[in-house]
Order: sequence, then C-alpha cells, then structure tokens
Amino acid sequence: MLRQLPNEKWTFATAAHLLNRAGFGGPPEEIERLVDLGPERAVSHFVDYGGLPEAAPDPAWAKPDPERAERLRAARQASPEERRMVQQAEQKNQRGRLIELRAWWLQRMAVGARPLQEKMTLFWHGHFATSAVKVRDAYLMWRQNDLFRRLGTGNWLQLLIGVAKDPAMLVWLDQAQSRKAHPNENFAREVMELFTLGEGHYTERDVTEAARALTGWSYDRMTQSFVARPLWHDRGAKTIFGRTGNFNGENFLEMLVAQPQAARFITGKLWSFFAGEPPGEELANALAAAFRSAGNDIKPLLRTMFLSEEFYAPSVLRNQVKSPVQWLVGSVRVLEFPLPPPLVCEALTRNLGQDLFAPPNVKGWDGGLSWITTNTLLARYNGAATLVQGNLAAAAGGMIANRPNAQRQPTRRFNQMRVRAVDADELFTEDERADIAALIAALERRLLQARLTPKQDQVLRDYLAGQPQLDEGAILNALRLVMSTPEYQLT
Amino acid sequence: MKDDITLQTRREFLHKTVLGGALSWTLPTFLANTFSALQAEAANQATQAPTGRNATILVVLQMAGGNDGLNTVVPFTNDYYHRARPKIGLAESKVLRLSADVGLHSALSGFKDLYDGGRLAIVQGVGYPNPNRSHFRSTEIWQTGSDASKFERYGWLGRYFDNACSGCDPTVGVSIGRQAPQAFAARQPTGVSLDNPQNYRFLAGRPSGPGEMSSMEESYRKLNQPEAEMDANSGSTIGSLSGTVRHTGSVLDFLERTALDAQVSSDKIRSIASRVDNLATYPASQLGNSLKLVAKLIGGGLPTRVFYVSQGGYDTHTNQVNAQERLLRDLGDSVKAFVEDMQGQGNLPRVPLMTFSEFGRRVAENANGGTDHGAAAPMFVVGEKVKAGLLGEYPSLAPGDLFQGDLKFKVDFRLVYAGVLEDWLKTRSEPILGSRFAPVQVV
Repeated sequence: MLRQLPNEKWTFATAAHLLNRAGFGGPPEEIERLVDLGPERAVSHFVDYGGLPEAAPDPAWAKPDPERAERLRAARQASPEERRMVQQAEQKNQRGRLIELRAWWLQRMAVGARPLQEKMTLFWHGHFATSAVKVRDAYLMWRQNDLFRRLGTGNWLQLLIGVAKDPAMLVWLDQAQSRKAHPNENFAREVMELFTLGEGHYTERDVTEAARALTGWSYDRMTQSFVARPLWHDRGAKTIFGRTGNFNGENFLEMLVAQPQAARFITGKLWSFFAGEPPGEELANALAAAFRSAGNDIKPLLRTMFLSEEFYAPSVLRNQVKSPVQWLVGSVRVLEFPLPPPLVCEALTRNLGQDLFAPPNVKGWDGGLSWITTNTLLARYNGAATLVQGNLAAAAGGMIANRPNAQRQPTRRFNQMRVRAVDADELFTEDERADIAALIAALERRLLQARLTPKQDQVLRDYLAGQPQLDEGAILNALRLVMSTPEYQLT
Repeated sequence: MKDDITLQTRREFLHKTVLGGALSWTLPTFLANTFSALQAEAANQATQAPTGRNATILVVLQMAGGNDGLNTVVPFTNDYYHRARPKIGLAESKVLRLSADVGLHSALSGFKDLYDGGRLAIVQGVGYPNPNRSHFRSTEIWQTGSDASKFERYGWLGRYFDNACSGCDPTVGVSIGRQAPQAFAARQPTGVSLDNPQNYRFLAGRPSGPGEMSSMEESYRKLNQPEAEMDANSGSTIGSLSGTVRHTGSVLDFLERTALDAQVSSDKIRSIASRVDNLATYPASQLGNSLKLVAKLIGGGLPTRVFYVSQGGYDTHTNQVNAQERLLRDLGDSVKAFVEDMQGQGNLPRVPLMTFSEFGRRVAENANGGTDHGAAAPMFVVGEKVKAGLLGEYPSLAPGDLFQGDLKFKVDFRLVYAGVLEDWLKTRSEPILGSRFAPVQVV
C-alpha cells in the first residue's frame, strides 16, 4: 500500500491528473511543464508552496469594525423606522462584501501561485461548513477562510483548536452562548460527529460532558473576536472517552485527536476529496498510519497521497465529478481567460449548486454525484456559453436566491453587464484553426485531456463541416459543445 | 400527443427523436414513465407506482418568513389574545367566522369559500419540541423533518423520492423557483427546479428556419446520447437499464443518464407550458404565477408526485397589518384559483395542497406594530378529499401556558407529514420520517 508511482507512469495523463486534483487544472503547456519536472518535483511544486508569492491583498474591510457593533447597538434604542434603515444598510453592506469575498477567493484559485493551498482551503470550508446565512458578517467569514489558508496543511490539532476558537464557528454552532448553567451541545456534538470521528465513535455522555468542557469559549461582538469567559466555564470533573478530569476545551480537543478513529476519519475524508472515492480498508489503514507517524501533520500526508500509485489508479483517473467551483475555476484556467465579474461568478456557482460561504447545512456539500441534477447539468452547459461566448442570459438564472425577502437589485446590475468572449486565436494555432481534425484534437487535449468517443468526434466533425467557414464563431461554438458533454463534467 | 402510457424502449425513444430526425419529439410518453410502468409491472412493491396518469399529487406551499398564525386563524373571543395584541389584534367584525371562537383573517375569503365547500382542513397548533427561532434553522427542521437537536442531510420529500421513486423520472419532484428546496435534497438527487419553462433548456443559437433546430442544438443533443444507445449490437433494452444505471453504473453512466433526462424533461415541460391553458383566473403575483405553472404541468400530464411553491415576505416585525393582509389575500385567492383550475381539469380529487411556515409568531405584539419570531402555528390542507374543518385544538394563550411567550404546539408537524405520506402518497412514513409518527388524518 502507498507504493510510490513509478517514473514510467508519469505521463501527460497522470501529470494532468495531479494538476486537476491538487490544483484547479490548467492549459496543456502547464501539464507539459509538470511532465518535465518528474513526479517528485511536480508534487513538491504543489505541496511546498511556502516560498511562492502570496496572491492578491486582503479585502480592505477584512479587519474588525468597532463602529459596526456600535451602530447595531445604537439602532436597538432607535425608532422602528431608523432601526429598519440601519438594518437594511447593514444587510446591503454585508451582501456586497460577500460577493466581493467570493470573487476574491475564486481569483486566488484561478491565478494564485499556490493552488494546493486554495484547494485545501476549499476542503476545510466544505468540512467545517460554516454559512454566512447565520453568521451574517463577511469579516468573520473572511477570517475563517484565512485561518484555513494559514493552518490548512499544518497540524490537525492546531487547526482544530483554531477552528473551535474561530468567531464564525463560535456563532455558527452556538458555542458563543454556551455557559455553565446552560451548556450548548451543538459544537460539542458536531465536532465529534462531523469534524473528527463520525457517528458511532462517541456516546451521548461524551457529548454532554464535552459541552461542559467547552463552556466559556465565547465570542465578543464588540471586538469581533474569540473571548474566554472564566465565569462561564464549568470547572467540575468531566468524563470523556472514559477518562475523568477537570478538562477544558483544549484538553477535550487533544483527547479527540488522540482517538485512533480520528486519524482514519480525517485521512479518509481527505482521500475521498482528492481521489473522488473513499479508500478501501487497507488503504485507509495505511493513510491513517502515515498520518499518525507524521505527528498528525497534514502536509506530509498530502505528499504521500499525491506520490502514491493508488492516486493514479484507473478507477481514480477522470472519474470525479467536478465541483461547481472546480468547474468554474478549471474552465477559466483551460480557456486562459479571466474570471467573469463577481456577480456573474456568484450566479454561476449558485446555479450549479455551490454557493461559497453558504453551504446548505452543517454537513457541507454532499459532493460527487449529488452535484449533478438535470437542472445543474443544464446550468453547466449554459454556463459554458457564458464563459466561452460571454452569453449572460445563461448565468442570469442564479441571481435571486430562493429565500424570504430576496434581494432583487443585483439582477438589474447584472443585466447591464457585458462579458467578453474567449479569443480563439490565443488558444489554437493557425494550423489547428485551419483543419477540423487538428482542431478537434486540440480541443480534446485542452478541455478533456482525453479522447472524445468516436461518435462524439463524428458529431463535432459534422457540426464544424456544416459551418460556412471555420471562423471564430464556429470555433467558440465547438468549445462550448465540448464543454456541454457528460465527459467535460469529469476530472 | 397522447397521454396514455405506452411502453417504449429507450432505444425507440432515441431513434424517434434524434436519429430519426423527428426533432419535434412527438412521442407518446416520457422516457422514464416507462421505467415506472415497468416497475409497476414488477408488481411486488408495497407502494403504488410512483408516477402515472392517475397517481396522486401533492403540492407543498411554503409561507416563508414565519407567518403569524394568530392573526391568520384568529381566536377572536379570547381575552388573552386581545390583551396581548391591543394594536394589531383582530376583532370579531374583522374575521370570517369558522366557529364560535375561531375565524379566518378577512383577507382569506378564498380560504373561507374553500372551507365552506368542505375543501379546507386547518390543523391547529402545529410545531415541534424545543422550537428554534432562527429562520434558517427552523426552515431546515421543517424541510428535513428532523428533531430540533439533529441535523439531517436529506429533506423529507427527498427521502420520499429515495424510498418510493427510485429510478423515477426526474420530474417526480418539481419546485417552482430557481433553487430546489432543502426538502428535495436526496441521496439520489432528483427533481427539477424552474421558474420559467423557457429557461429550463439548452440555450442555443437561433434556428436557421421556422420549425428547425439550430445545428448547435442538434449537435448538443447528439453529443449527449449515451454511447450504448447508438450501438445497434448492444442489445440494450429498457429492462437492462431500468433502475440499475444510477446504482451500479460508473460516474459517466450517471452523467449520461442525467443528460438524457434533462433533454427529455426540458422538451416535455416546455411543450406542456405552451400547449395547456389555465382554466381559472389567478392573481398577478409570484405565487399566482407559480400555481398557474403547476396547474399547467398537472394538466399536461407531467408524471410529478410533488410540486413545491413558495411565497415569501411573512417576516413581519414591523407594521404587520398591511403586509400580512396583502400576503394572505394573495395566498387565499391564488389557492382558490388553483383549486378551480384543478376542478376544471377534473384533477382535483387527486391533488391536495399543503401549506407550512417555519414558525408562527410571538403571542404579544411588539412595539413596532409587528410580531417577533414565535413557535406553533396552523397548517392548511386543501383539496377535494381532505378532512375539512378545524382539526386539533387551539393552543392555550394563557400566559402560564406559553413557553417564553410563544404558543406550545399541539401537533408535531411530522404527524401531518405522516398523514400526507400514508393517506395521500400511499407510502409508509416510518422509513421516511425516521421513526413512527401517528399520522394526522387530513385526507
């Protein structure tokens, strides 16, 4: 188990696989560069990102805003009219920031020098599944995102402690209100069920007692930061996982991570995320052992995974449904074109079923086949027209969330927007633009890194042959058609 | 266009539509109807065939934002009520009397007509233990049918689809709106969401002539045909495809199947929307439009078991009186028109409609002429076969009987779900709701 991939299996296809999974894909030249590096240096290029430049600066508002808390508090004493105005202004403000925040993150994924760092940030966002719908503070959402980015490939315990004290999480799972007299079990339960062990590996008693250990970890609205409230903490003896003591939150999380199941759980989830299928029994054991022997550090595990022969097994290659984010970011990367404007990105990912910073519930996105319904598949096919041809009608469907008092205003702004079409001359050589067979081969290599079926090849050939000439319009249509296939939804 | 179910193999369907060039898709039935028809033939199922010409249909109507149940089904003789609501309380003269002490908000004249006609059941005091007052969380609880302390990944209707409609046509669940409700979330995702039938399609360029499909669209259709269907020697028939593709097939099989489903359902829905007429006049509102579309889809024979529509705006913290009046009038008039439409179609006996809201509101009004988030509230069930009248008991408004100022529930909402699932959708509720809830007999 976990044999290293032999050098002779390092090909265009396997290098493309690494680029797609550890990152967000890229054009053929980028794959060729990875092929030339060889497997170890290619993997290191992703995993050892510390020396590479940081991407875009943080949003200007990504800092505590003491005036906001003051404003909201003052509004509580104000007249109903004034209060409504303050609340509406605040909602509008937050909504604008959230759109900005989504675009900011997508931009890091699309052009940043550290794709694995962003991929891991995306993994942790899905894992800890905190939603702005409840947190209602874009700064807190940014802050959690930044935490994932800073600690996401470090030590598991350090990350877990960071998350437990993270303001957005404190609000999201009600830990902020948990005090000795009324312990709130929400975080205590989910940290075991969803974040570290899985159902069946703890008792109800463990939940109750862990909630007591965590009391006093809270959130201060004025400073928008974590606060320990000693008076809220239950100092009595607790029994967790069969051990008794005057445990605090840190003690509990240490005990949690030390559970043998904890290593299996998180390594299994990481493998599923990157490989697209859960590990078999033997592989799960090997991953957990590798993780433990590396002191529960995540980076060495990632290196082992990406260098393993198992990661490049036929059942793994090109057999994962792209997440909506992977679809969007991966598409603009292979089209070598900038991301569309923030509102359009938001509409596209929402139409496809992945609203960043708003996972559907505490369990996060199901992923896998659940990304695909008749709706979302049509949305992908039509979204391809937005990306390739600048057709905005296709993206417009996502502008109004199905929730009470939905914000309609962006729709108008959206309708006034213009998005450019991809430039075919940049993507294909003169020879490829002159010959149907050469063009189809180039499309396959760029978009699929695999062959179309003979039948699909024929359909495309017939389409192109039926056009008056092989011009820009025909080539863009062909790009969109290849993106409108079941095959393109796989990575 | 015939409406009866005709068994047809997937190959035949494809040959007629794409290969045969008959791109107006004049086929007698929906591809997946054949799946369910075959399933019904298999016959050893505990439940009835989930889709089909005469199957029952449920319409779920979400009143989003938390409707104030107390000013909807009004205990107009109750002193506690008037004391708690000196400004916004409704006097006897302002309500449509249903009994000696309960009446409907005067804007609900549509509901009053349905009530008098024996077509409206009102389940009083519906809620759940340990009520949550967050819109997000309480909606999630109603949508997933979970305990307040538990998080369920899948929705109650999604679990119904998983249990009873495996291998069904994707239009077994249709939600009118841009996103599927969490109630539809399922292990095997199914269901279609659309607000405008014209958007539920592959958007291609303009066709070169009238009645012709653009070469772009034609190519899209051909690219999205499963390879096996094209292979004359594969011998694949409906039998070998039915119900097995999703479970044992590869990821690509699943994608191909969904791509084909998307094509077929898009054609069907757009055809119905353009060919079926409404038989009643609806209010010109979003809810009215949603129900108009539902009525068309039912009339056109879409093999749907559950439709989902939503009306927003019930979060009336300030100046509730006017806002709620407008919403309730829209609600009552839209639903009444829908019932008339169903009656005109002859489909009323098989179509009930059920409303829910994530919570009711605080008994006492607030200082801004509105009400804050509360707990128990009534649910409405509308239809020809419903057990009409006031069901259950109005929760007590006596201050000592309230929980933190809110009504205590008398009926767990999952009892109503159980009743709908068992009596209406003819399926066992226990596997769907996770435990046994004695069904409220609403049908």
